[in-house]
Amino acid sequence: MMTTKCEQLDDLLYDATPLSMETAARHAAECPSCAETLAAWNEVSETAQSMRTTWDNDMLWPRIERALREERKRSPMKRLWQVAAAVLITVGLSATITYALRVQNHQAAFDRDILQLSALDEVQRAENDHLRAIEKLEDVAGTKLDDAETPLMISYKEKLMLLDDAIEECQANIDRNRQNAHLRKQLLAMYSEKQQTLEDVLREDSNVSTP
Amino acid sequence: MLQAAMTMMYVTAPSPASEDRRLAAGCAAGDATIFEEIYRRMGERMKSVAWNHLGNVSDAEDAVQETFLKLHRSASTYTGEASFSTWAYRILVNTCYDLLRKRRRRIEEEPIDDLTESAQRTAPNVDDAKRITLRKLLDELPEQRRSVFTLFEIEGLSHAEIAEILGISEGNSKWILFATKKELQEKWRKSSAEC
Repeated sequence: MMTTKCEQLDDLLYDATPLSMETAARHAAECPSCAETLAAWNEVSETAQSMRTTWDNDMLWPRIERALREERKRSPMKRLWQVAAAVLITVGLSATITYALRVQNHQAAFDRDILQLSALDEVQRAENDHLRAIEKLEDVAGTKLDDAETPLMISYKEKLMLLDDAIEECQANIDRNRQNAHLRKQLLAMYSEKQQTLEDVLREDSNVSTP
Repeated sequence: MLQAAMTMMYVTAPSPASEDRRLAAGCAAGDATIFEEIYRRMGERMKSVAWNHLGNVSDAEDAVQETFLKLHRSASTYTGEASFSTWAYRILVNTCYDLLRKRRRRIEEEPIDDLTESAQRTAPNVDDAKRITLRKLLDELPEQRRSVFTLFEIEGLSHAEIAEILGISEGNSKWILFATKKELQEKWRKSSAEC
């Protein structure tokens, strides 16, 4: 017959089958230390089994029945309130989100307008600078161009006339839509080109007259 | 003849699953007769489980009442994965946990009262002092360990049922019971030595 060691007692108690408990009891009969452990173990179980409790209370079921009846009566009203609350919350939340989005859009539009205005101011300043420079250059180069004889000077003159037509047309379009950034950019480029051409004219003139 | 009778019984007797669904449907519909049937079948054990978690008759009865209200409110969510009784005990144990937490929030812990005169132990031969000692030791345990011990040792449920009620595995339930009993046994020996 196999002998049981003290270290195996826990395994036997964990298994808790009738066979393992019988084996534990056999070992405990010869081992005072394990006998004490097993006795406490069994006493805990026996005491626990005696703690299953019962009492009569004739009032408990009528009390539960009444509570259930009240719950059933409350249920449709409660559901109605829940639906109403859900609708209210949804509407409130939608209104808040809409308002927040509108404020955000308004702010974004305001920022965009401010940015556009400041950009237009900048373009306007650049245009004015070009115009001032062009006026000065025209004063100097005007007579030279009027008396243009060389093919180069004639082509410069034609280019400037074309640029003037284009500037005039662009200006007319801008007058119709002053916020059109693309047209303003085109106008600025044409002013720049005209300024550059006039400078070339003067440079050419000085090159021709130098020798 | 006997075989025919057996076949008849098999055909006419409702299966456990359909019986559970009938109870759940009755609860959802608020059928008073179904609630009464459940109370007749499970009321005694429900009271005992609640008493062994809460330690007094008044709280235990409140927990049982609250469990019935919860059965009514949530019966439509019963899926049939666990048996109806297991599902109901799960609601009861959770209700007991809620009451215990509410009670713990109170500044002064209410003393555990022992049973009133009308209440009875199923095994009155065991010494009351031992029961009081074990009750005190159980009160010191964490909720889950206390539930496993109570449901297995006091209420006599199987590990499979306990696992379903507490949402743990069967092996876990067995291990928790062993660890809890080991701890209780050591404390039990110490308290016996002090006496």
